[in-house]
Amino acid sequence: MLENAWGWLIVAYLFLAGAGAGAFVAAVACDLLAPDWSKSLARAGSLASGPLVAVGTMCLVFDLEAGLWQPWRQLYLVSNLSSMISWGVIVLSLFIPVALLYAAALNDLTFVGRYAKKYVWHLEVAGSVLAVATAVYTGILIAVVNGVPFWNTPLMPVLFLASAVSTGLAVAMIGAAIIDITTIRTLSNFALGHVIFLAIEGVVLMLFIFMSLTRSVEAAVSANMMISGVLSPYFWLLVVVLGILVPFALSIVEYYEYGKMPKYLVVGADLLVLVGGMSLRGVIIFAASPPQIV
Amino acid sequence: MPRYGIAIDTTKCIGCHACQVACQNHNQLDYNQRFNWILERDRGKYPSFDKEFVPVQCNHCEDAPCERVCPTAAIYTTAEGIVHIRSERCVGCKYCVEACPYKVRIVDHHKGIVTKCWLCIDMVRKGGEPACVTTCPNQVRIFGDLDDPNSKISRFIAEHRAQPLRPDLNTKPKIYYKRS
Ligand code: SF4
Ligand code: SF4
Repeated sequence: MLENAWGWLIVAYLFLAGAGAGAFVAAVACDLLAPDWSKSLARAGSLASGPLVAVGTMCLVFDLEAGLWQPWRQLYLVSNLSSMISWGVIVLSLFIPVALLYAAALNDLTFVGRYAKKYVWHLEVAGSVLAVATAVYTGILIAVVNGVPFWNTPLMPVLFLASAVSTGLAVAMIGAAIIDITTIRTLSNFALGHVIFLAIEGVVLMLFIFMSLTRSVEAAVSANMMISGVLSPYFWLLVVVLGILVPFALSIVEYYEYGKMPKYLVVGADLLVLVGGMSLRGVIIFAASPPQIV
Repeated sequence: MPRYGIAIDTTKCIGCHACQVACQNHNQLDYNQRFNWILERDRGKYPSFDKEFVPVQCNHCEDAPCERVCPTAAIYTTAEGIVHIRSERCVGCKYCVEACPYKVRIVDHHKGIVTKCWLCIDMVRKGGEPACVTTCPNQVRIFGDLDDPNSKISRFIAEHRAQPLRPDLNTKPKIYYKRS
């Protein structure tokens, strides 16, 4: 009896696809809502988005077996529209080129960028829809799995979407600090985004755990693995404390101190959000436990 | 067309694993690969307690979650109701392994694909029965056509009110159990 078929590669896939999609949303939001000083955030988010999702997709491909050794088999991947993987392949292969074009447009990359610039508005609308679809899809992918009652809940896509948005914003902020360190001051404006999205993520996560404890025996087994069992150190330390509470607190300070916080703390808070996002996918995948059949 | 299934009488199972070995033999599986398992469960309380052996394998679900999630459509149901795999399409994504609530699908790392019990359809089509059924020293397993009300399996299920494992999962399994 094989119980854990999926491991780190799938965890990385879920995380990178979510963070890439979130980075796109963050880039569009910065480009539309905020004045000139946020341009480097929009540029960084758009630059990171496509490559992150592409690397995530490669993780999925490397998790294949026969499909990796005989790559032509991958053509079959879109054969079953009742399979979420088929939908995922379709959504991701539409999203990656749109994200790359958007990055080219915002960053004036070559003639492609200059051409794409004329269609920025179209790219933003289509890309945002595809980005939300990508983030939600990573949750639905595991929410429809009957073999793992813990995953089998409509809260799963909501949780992954919330986490995708906060990790995406973190990616954009780190990227902005890399391409233009003087923006560090303006990052404080976006700290409020972290405060809001981390709060939402925390509330959804809490609901998810509480509901799992009562939903079914098997879901409770998994939830207990996370809150008091073998996975609890990772859950409490990496997901809850380092991934949500610390960056939440740092972001509040950052917002009120406006630009006075040391740079390494600003970027550190964002890095922690990423660690938390990856660990969240990890504990959820590794807490899988099958229905009791006898 | 018949609709094949197996009825299993756990009260007669002695946990000898002969079915498992016969299956490994017929399907040329490695020593650590198997298509069926004997799960054990304690039954009753001291001083009258006992061990129940529950043989499990693919249930050939009529509403098979594995088939629904397979992106390559490698999983299909044959006319005889057997859930089967087109191995040349499988990419080894293992989504079906996660989706099967009975956890009876295994990864064949040599071929890079997922595989499982196929009710020895090769022998059945020649008029035989699955290896696990013919090998069992205690006749725990009854193979036959679930749609024929006069078949041995249908009469057994009716007489003992045999039930699939976890019918509440709504996959409509075709392996039935008499457990007491
Ligand atoms: S028992 Fe599992 S592998 Fe067999 S048909 Fe049902 S879901 Fe598929
Ligand atoms: S591992 Fe093979 S049979 Fe299973 S879902 Fe993936 S492609 Fe289909």
